[in-house]
Formats: sequence, structure tokens, C-alpha cells
Amino acid sequence: MITIELEGRKIRVPEGLTVIEALWDTGHDVKRGIGCLSGLCGACTVAYLEAGAQRVKFGLGCQVVVAEGMNVIMLPYFPSRIARYDMADMANPLQELPGQYPELYACDDCKACNICPEWIHVAGFMKNAKEAAYATVAEKVKDCHLCGLCASRCPKSIAPQYVGLYLQRSCARQQPLPPNLRKRLEEMATFADDADFARVPVMSDDELKDFCRGFL
Amino acid sequence: MYSESLVPQLELVNATREQRKAVTPAPLADREKTVLLKKYHPDYKDSAFRDLRIGANKGDRVTHEFADLLESFSSLDHARLDLEPEVTTDVLVLGGGGAGVTAALFAESRGARVLLATKLRLGNSNTIMALGGMQAAVAAQDSPVRHFADTMIAGGFAGDRRLVKAMVEDAPGIVAWLLKVGVNFDRDENGDLATRMAAGMTAPRILSIGDHTGLNIMKVLKDELRKSDRIELAEFSPAVELTTSETGACNGAVLYDLGRRRHFVVKARAVVLATGGAGRLHNQGFPTSNNFGATGDAIVLAYRAGARMEGLDSFQYHPTGVMFPEHMVGVLVTEAIRSLGTHLVNARGERFVNELETRDVVAAAIIRECETGNGVRTPSGKVGVWLDLPILEELFEKGLLRKRFPALFKKFMRVRIDITRRPLLVYPTLHYQNGGVFIDETGESTVNNLFVAGEAAGGIHGRNRAMGNALLDIFVFGRRAGIAAAGRVGHEPGRLTLNHVANYYSRLKSLRISSVANSPTLFPEFIVDKI
Repeated sequence: MITIELEGRKIRVPEGLTVIEALWDTGHDVKRGIGCLSGLCGACTVAYLEAGAQRVKFGLGCQVVVAEGMNVIMLPYFPSRIARYDMADMANPLQELPGQYPELYACDDCKACNICPEWIHVAGFMKNAKEAAYATVAEKVKDCHLCGLCASRCPKSIAPQYVGLYLQRSCARQQPLPPNLRKRLEEMATFADDADFARVPVMSDDELKDFCRGFL
Repeated sequence: MYSESLVPQLELVNATREQRKAVTPAPLADREKTVLLKKYHPDYKDSAFRDLRIGANKGDRVTHEFADLLESFSSLDHARLDLEPEVTTDVLVLGGGGAGVTAALFAESRGARVLLATKLRLGNSNTIMALGGMQAAVAAQDSPVRHFADTMIAGGFAGDRRLVKAMVEDAPGIVAWLLKVGVNFDRDENGDLATRMAAGMTAPRILSIGDHTGLNIMKVLKDELRKSDRIELAEFSPAVELTTSETGACNGAVLYDLGRRRHFVVKARAVVLATGGAGRLHNQGFPTSNNFGATGDAIVLAYRAGARMEGLDSFQYHPTGVMFPEHMVGVLVTEAIRSLGTHLVNARGERFVNELETRDVVAAAIIRECETGNGVRTPSGKVGVWLDLPILEELFEKGLLRKRFPALFKKFMRVRIDITRRPLLVYPTLHYQNGGVFIDETGESTVNNLFVAGEAAGGIHGRNRAMGNALLDIFVFGRRAGIAAAGRVGHEPGRLTLNHVANYYSRLKSLRISSVANSPTLFPEFIVDKI
């Protein structure tokens, strides 16, 4: 057994538990802040101070394993501004970034946001965003699960996760329809009914099996 | 980091790598597959099932876990519920994963007002956990017909051909829709959608976004959902019962506000049930890859309302669930890894199954190894086999794992396991509910005005779901259900009643059944077992 400070109180828990397991093990009925339990969804963000350490760390409650003397709280939600828009109404959302997120340009690269549990270099992509290297941002935020920890550290109250999402979407929308998909959609519109395929609903079970196995 | 006791085993995996490359186990013949499945696949373990005694599927074989919920009174005191609706809407969507969000968007696009209620936070679902990708026949050498054939064969011809046909025909259009909303599927150098092969497929058909496919789709759809004032959200509000009209049609639901610990009632012209699967019921004690909320609520709610089910005795056990470290038990290692040619290795350093067999066959083979003494035991007594990831760096290029599977790489670096140098210990994990509520091509169940989409719905995947078809199915049938539900705007929902529950209870009484259960379960009971 080890002693930790959990949600502001000293408590003894078995070794080897994650923060969430420690909460459950000690009878805390936590639901808000629990999601995939696989480190993928970003619902269970925590802030913790390790024994003897000075600097607070951040992570996911389903992945951080508690240790003797750790002081930990769940931080499942942090308010951050998200712009309101309907992308269908926007000709080129990339050009509208400054209007949607003007606070982005107040970012002075202090790097306080570099605490991403997915190890995304947040300050790096914010710099790219300011410099209009939008495609780079879109690529860098693919692992972002919008947990919002980065926003909780920003002294300028910028929400990097939402800026990233806006750019990820905008860049994807600017790309032309992929040629292979375009061709498939055209084919399907022209030959709406493959004669054999159209008969699927009325085939006997044996006919259906033969039909399908014909593609092997 | 691996514990000391596993080190000799790790060394054996390294030592046998070269010789294993030379001997690929032959694919099994149909007859051999059947024998293997019958002996080792959890779906064939008769003691884990019983025949249901009540309801529309009376006499059908279902898991004990489902039967225990369906053959019981709900612990909720229905007599104390006030059925006066607090909210009235056109379409009530239950569930905030890919199917629910898609249904809400399409219902709204047809002019309906929508309330989307979900148990956890919007987006907390198995959708975001879909790593490997989504099937859609877009490659030149592929076609929807081929997609149909592969899906029917994978499901052992138990899938409903009308539903499968609808799914494969909608697939290219769904991809076009997702691209338009702003989903960034991976492309090749020509700007074509990149497509990959997977086990049991006759053409490359898997579209992906790195190894975070579902997450990146869900992020975009959640963002899209905010555009309209006609869509309202109720997070942390699971449904605990559906309501029906005097004629038995569905017309709303009783929700439970978790934060304020009170029930409230929503009246709607149509309901879309999209609350996902049941991995957290932990069938037969299996670990699961599913999220915290996947407790099979749709089955309980719809069944009491009179809906017919399909295939409730068929589940997918994904062959490669993590067995070490302890706190990651059940977490998935994507099938894309296996498709590339990793070896599954037993405690004797041997391969024991052709790794490209379908999920059910590979899972059964791993269970066979573990039950016949060829498994590797962890310090806490769990048993698994090795998945030799480092071999991919030799077969392809150094750095492949980090480049193609960044999420997986990071996940294990956090626990100081470097997958470019170390294998992972794996065992089948409860992954997907193959069956569910029976639906037609519009997504409607046998209960009028009750639509079902996503993993909660049944009949599409037969007895084994192919990789990438779940992610497709949720958008195809989410869309169809949303559109059809919006078509009921002119319909008068009538008075809200729980007559169906009263009827169900009187049948329980006549069967002398008196057990009480938390049904729907809503949240799993967690017993943290550690040594």
C-alpha cells in the first residue's frame, strides 16, 4: 500500500493503480471524466505533483499510475472559447482564421502549453498557425483528442486545441475530391443497377453463396 | 517496462525471429476452421449461453449477461416517475458516438428539431477508439459488389443481405460527405484516397487517418454539430427507459440527469437509439476494448419496448488485446499491425496460426494456445501470446512503426515499452457486439418510430464483422435513421406511457421470475483486482 493525496485528501491505495482505479478503489463514484479508459479520448485529464517535485505535471487519469506521495486531482473540464461558425457558409475558412480566432495572434510563444499528454508540440503548431503554415498544423494535430490541457495553461486564454481543429477541418475542405472517389461516384450514377447485384434480394441462399464466392 | 520474469520469454521471441520468417502456417481449410471455432471460440462455449424465456426473441440463445438483464425487473421504481415531458422535440437521438451524431446531423438537415442525449460527454464512444480505418469501395480494382461479397463471406452468410447491400452502396457517398464536412482521410501522391488491404478482403478497401481514424472523424462531426440551433445537447443524461404511445409506438424516453440525480422525460415524434454495444458487460469475464459506457443499454430499452433482436449470441473477440501492463489490459492493438505481417508467437517461440485469418479464427487459435499450456504467464497470472511487432521494422523499414502507428508507439512508450524492440503480450478482448436490434433498410426497428443505428443495431455483420465495417456502418445507418426519423415530423406522438414495461413485468411475473437488476446497467461495476 502507498499513501497519496487524492482529490485533496490523504488516502492509502494499493500500488500499481492508475489515478482512475485509485478513485474507484477508494469508493469515489467518478463518472464525469471517464471515457475510453485507453488513453484515446482525453476525458480524464489530471494534474499531479510527484513527491518532492516542484513542478505540476499533467496527464490522463487512465494512464498515470499513482506513486507514493503523489498529490493528484482530476481536471476533467476547463472553459475555453470556441468560435461559432458553419463551414458550409465559408468560401475559404483558412482566410477567416484571424476573424474566428483573433486571440491566436496574441500568442508570444511562451511554450506553457507544451504539456500535451499526446506529446504534441503545441507551441510549435501555434507558431505555424500564426505564420499561416496551415497544412503543417493540420498534420501535427492529428493525434489531438481535444482534452484542453494546453488551453488551461495559456496565460492569454487561447485554446490551441480548437485552433488546431479549425485548421484541420479547413485544410481538408480545401482539397479537391479524390479522383478515385469521383470516378466511383460517377460509375455508380451511370450504371445504377449492376444486373446481377440487383438480383441479390431475390436470390436463393445457395445462389447468393455462389455469387459471393465468385469474387474470391 | 516488462518485469524480470518475462525476460527469458522476450529473448526467445528475438532468438526465433529469423527461423519463424521461413515457416508461415498454412491457411486453414473450412472444416478445420469450424473445428477450431467450435472448440475454442467463446461464442461456441455452450455453458456461457441460455435460451431467453421472455419477449420477442423468446427461445433464442443469448449470453447469460444479456439474459440476466432481460429476465429481470428494473431496479428503477417506475411508479415514482412523472411522465409529464420536460422537453418536446421532433427527433430524440440517444447516444453521442458516430451513429448518434450522424443521425442528429441528417435529421436536422431535413428540418427536424433534435435533442441528442448521451450518457457521458459528447463523443465519448467506441467510435473514437476505432483505430485502423473504415471500409469503402473506392479503389479502381474494387467495387461495391465486391465489398458486398467480402462482407457476406466474413459474416458466414448470417448478415441480412438487404442491409449489407444498403451499406456497401452508400459507402462511397458517405466518404464524399465526410470529406465535405472536413475529414482528412489519408491520400496518396496522386491525391487519391489511400486504400489498404485487411484480412478477408479481396481488394484494398480500408481508408484511414493515421492510426486515429475514428477520433479524427468524431472531432470533425462534433464540431459540425455545433453549427445549428435546432440541435440541442444533453450530456451526462443516459436513457433509462423508452416511452410508448397507447398504440405501442415509441414516442420518447425517460432520461437520468447524472449530475442532478433526477429523471426527466423527453417527448419526441421519433427516437433514434444509438447507444452502442456491450463490451463492458464483460462476457465470460473477458477483458474489453470498449469505452466505459458500453453496457448494452440499447438492447434492454428496445427489448422491453417490444423490439425484435438479432444475433445476441454473437460477439467479436478481437484477437490482439493487450495483456501487459496490467492497467492496459483489454486495450486494442489495431488489426492493421496484423495485416502487415507480424507474427503471433507462443511460449515455445512458434507461430501457431496464419495471422491473416479472420478475427474469429485468430482469436480461437490464441485461446487454444493459452488453454493448452503454450501461453505466456504475466506476474499477475494473466496469460497471453506474443505479437512480434519488431519484425515489421525488419520486413519493411526501420522507423515504420513510429511513422505508421504513432498513437500505438506513444501509448507504449509511456509505460516504457519500445514496440520497435519489444513484442506485446496479447489475448482476445471483447470488441464488438455482432448482433443487436433488428432493423430494416431505413434503420427502423420492429417498434414503430423507434430507429436504431450503429453497434446497437443488428443484422449487418452476421457472425463475424470484417475490419473497417463498423466505422462505415455507423455513418450509413446513422444517416438513414436520421433521415427516416425526420420524415415523422408530421406524426402526432400521442400520450407518453410505460405500458410496455407493465406488460413486460406481467409476463415476468407469470414466469415466476422475481430477480431485480440494474437494467439498463449504465455503468459497469468495477472491482479493481490487483496483486
